[in-house]
Amino acid sequence: MPKLLVCYKWTLDEQDIKINPADLSLDASRAKGKISDFDRQAIEEATLIVEKQGGTVAALSYGTPTVKQSLKDVLSRGPNKAFYIADKSAESADAYVTASVLAAAIRKIGPFNFILLGEGSSDMFYQQTGPRLAQLLGIPCVSFVQKMEIEGDVLKATRKLSDSLEEVSVKGPAVISVLSEINKPRIPTLKQVLGAAKKPNEEVKIADLGLTPAQLAPKAVRKSAKGFVMNRKHIVYKESDAAANVAKLAASLAAEGLR
Amino acid sequence: MPGIIVFSEDGALAQQLLTPALELKKSLNQPVTALTQDENTANALATLADRAVLLKAAKATPEAIAPEIAEFCAREQASVVLIGGTLRGKHVAAQIAAKLEAGMTTDAKTLKITDGKLQTTRILYAGLAVSEEEVSLPAIATIPARTFLAPASNGTSAKVEALEVKPDDRITVTGTTSIGTEGVDITAAHKLVSVGRGFRAKADLKLAEDLAGALKDAELACSRGVAEDDHWLPLERYVGISGQIVKPELYLAVGLSGQVQHMVGCRESKVIVAINNDERAPIFEAADYGIVGDLYQVLPLLTAALKN
Repeated sequence: MPKLLVCYKWTLDEQDIKINPADLSLDASRAKGKISDFDRQAIEEATLIVEKQGGTVAALSYGTPTVKQSLKDVLSRGPNKAFYIADKSAESADAYVTASVLAAAIRKIGPFNFILLGEGSSDMFYQQTGPRLAQLLGIPCVSFVQKMEIEGDVLKATRKLSDSLEEVSVKGPAVISVLSEINKPRIPTLKQVLGAAKKPNEEVKIADLGLTPAQLAPKAVRKSAKGFVMNRKHIVYKESDAAANVAKLAASLAAEGLR
Repeated sequence: MPGIIVFSEDGALAQQLLTPALELKKSLNQPVTALTQDENTANALATLADRAVLLKAAKATPEAIAPEIAEFCAREQASVVLIGGTLRGKHVAAQIAAKLEAGMTTDAKTLKITDGKLQTTRILYAGLAVSEEEVSLPAIATIPARTFLAPASNGTSAKVEALEVKPDDRITVTGTTSIGTEGVDITAAHKLVSVGRGFRAKADLKLAEDLAGALKDAELACSRGVAEDDHWLPLERYVGISGQIVKPELYLAVGLSGQVQHMVGCRESKVIVAINNDERAPIFEAADYGIVGDLYQVLPLLTAALKN
């Protein structure tokens, strides 16, 4: 029976981030945390497999100390146990650092037959962690997976490659990154939420991972982040007479040369 | 001698990558080597770059190509590696970055060398923000299609070199289906009518089809929910951060709320029009023109008006 690991990121919910109109700075003071959207699909997929054919799912996250807030949420979604690495280095971590930390942690808590994660995180969306992690662990990576199943120690997947879909099979251990279209994650029931409190979690100390200072120093450094503003005309026709609105819009389209 | 290396399996994108590569060449004063997978593209690249290399592979899977390009980059002491930001390219790029222990940025919009580092801009939080990033050299960057126009030929032609790619048998490919069998590429359309979940039933999309017909060369696009949850339209028609990125002359969004994840896929459109019954829908903040109203009433009227 498969022993699965899902890696997930605890991110800020971008819907709660406000842009300060004066200087376009970002105000995240009211932003709540969430499990990164695409990682939820990875958690769901691993859980569905284990519910169907047995096995175990562990979850692993590397984040700032706020990552602890994610434990109940992730465990209510299916995994049997959650591991977390809470360290300030996560604040400025790029995909190079993240993959280095996750790879070291997996060597410590593994082995696993298959390691699943989302194609990218909903905040940074670098889409690098899966392929990088596999490279560091010296195992294959099937990325952008749309559909998958496990038979014995072999995983069969449909992956998306820009212009085509490929059916592939890979013997574990391997890393699998999933696309959002793979499933629709469950909304945990009250029973699952309450059950999550009884499931175990374990902190993996970054100091115990044998990483060098260089492996914790990002190579891609964010210098600034500003709200994106569009210059649009904002001409909205909202009379009660739909025909009048349509006539005005048709005239606007004609004026733009778009008819 | 260090150099700038570009790769894409997509012929048009490979040529577009030469524009930022030649710009970086001015700062770094290093030669540009372009790698690709098909002979015609390699011949075209030979007239744009200092060197062109054709990857020869019986099975050109991303896992087979990545280590070969990584080794090539190490041999050539690559300073900057630009890779076409297709799904295949992103996988290849991340594995090269891991192998070279290099920093990497994804979907770079602008690139320049500042203080000996690659400085790029890209989006964050599903398009809510734009960030400036500095990547130490050697630096890898993926660049989406159509971010740059391809440069003109330099009038000379380099000899095309060949590089053998060994297969990676750890992953077995048992079947291939090409996507977009219906032959529609919404990123190429001049006008798009994009439908959201304001439509009550699949049959009602006929209203949007009729409007697209009245707009002449318009295609139908949609939100993620319409493609992924309702399956009313194929996945290749959905616009958004994890779907298609489009820049048409006209983006006419109907019954579509305009979440940031969707808007990042269409906000570079020339004109955005919104039709929605909810005046507070975020789509109006992103629109040039809009009608607040019931799409079931507005669409037939607009179709008729455009036909006149």
